[in-house]
Amino acid sequence: MKVLKNEVETLLKEGTISAFLGMKQIKGHANPFLFTHLDDLEHLTIAEARYPLAKIILKIAHKYADHHLGIMVRGCDEKALIELYRNKQLDRSKLVPMGVACSGELAEKCNCSKPYPSQFIVGEAREISFDRTTLEKIESLPLDERFGYWINKLGKCIKCYGCRNICPVCFCEVCTLEDAPLIPLGKIPPEVPAFHLSRAFHMAGRCIDCGLCEEGCPVDIPLRTLYRKVREIVEELFDYLPGEDKEVVSPIQILGDGSFEIPEGDH
Amino acid sequence: MLEESSFEPKIITFCCNWCSYAGADLAGGMRLKYSSNIRPIRVMCSGRISPHFIIKAFQEGADGVLVTGCHIGDCHYMKGNYITAKRVAILKELLNFIGISPDRLRLEWIAASEGDKFARVADEFTKKIKALGPSSIKNISFNK
Repeated sequence: MKVLKNEVETLLKEGTISAFLGMKQIKGHANPFLFTHLDDLEHLTIAEARYPLAKIILKIAHKYADHHLGIMVRGCDEKALIELYRNKQLDRSKLVPMGVACSGELAEKCNCSKPYPSQFIVGEAREISFDRTTLEKIESLPLDERFGYWINKLGKCIKCYGCRNICPVCFCEVCTLEDAPLIPLGKIPPEVPAFHLSRAFHMAGRCIDCGLCEEGCPVDIPLRTLYRKVREIVEELFDYLPGEDKEVVSPIQILGDGSFEIPEGDH
Repeated sequence: MLEESSFEPKIITFCCNWCSYAGADLAGGMRLKYSSNIRPIRVMCSGRISPHFIIKAFQEGADGVLVTGCHIGDCHYMKGNYITAKRVAILKELLNFIGISPDRLRLEWIAASEGDKFARVADEFTKKIKALGPSSIKNISFNK
């Protein structure tokens, strides 16, 4: 905590970064805050709260393209940043990430398999294995019961777009989910399951499994389970895991250089 | 419950302009008889078939969706069908997870010279969908 504060202070003083995106303790609550003045740093906090910081920095970085920015990153933020770099939304050379490893409590709550970034200055690395119980429970249901389960859950949707708005890897300026011919306007719940299937498909090769969508959902749709499954499908078919720091292109992005070919046969 | 014989499924068939639509044309030209349950939609390339088209087709009450295109390597736009293959593979798994039989979605490569294959696939797929019964998406009350 102190380490982070000192580090940020030095960088701001040196002028290496123009601003630092972290969290500020305001009236007992941790809020995302862009630190530009040294005086504010005394309220810098890590807390147990999670915000889509990668998504917030996206807007700031677009507006101030010439500036170097610092950002606090947890394991999930780092994965999000990697996906944003890969999709050419952010310039890696302009960002200075400050790693923070999550506490065991938070990691367990998030069901996070990697609750720390590749480099961090606060906390310690903890290994927690992902708990697949919910996923396995759904997978083991027979087809029609599985359909019933999902329709029940998805039918609660109030189409608030919260899952999309909080998603750190959702960056498109024009969203398919607002395409009127595809998603009829003013209909609540939206067309089930087309609305959620559309979004789920967009998460293929992109979802970093941070779980913010499910946390943000006001009607508790198990969205993370759905997108987690999509992530696993992509891993199984193309051996690709979004958020890994490798020099590869997402299999869904490229038309095909042969590297992700699917063998012919009974599709 | 409808009896198997009386159930006539609606099958949306996406055909690419260059291969499979010509294949369908040839099937007609050859006077081949095939299932009338399929409703062809011509698109310029199978790569044009966004997963949303398929999802929307199911949502609007299709009992099956047949995606057809040029054989791998024969695409008029070089690589269009590569992306189709990937999309369909993901979508099948996704449909399965959400509780829709993945057999309701089928991908076939049909060349312009394969009129007989088009007819055969249409018949096979219709038979399969008839066996699966009507799509359960049509029964969701709050979508009506």
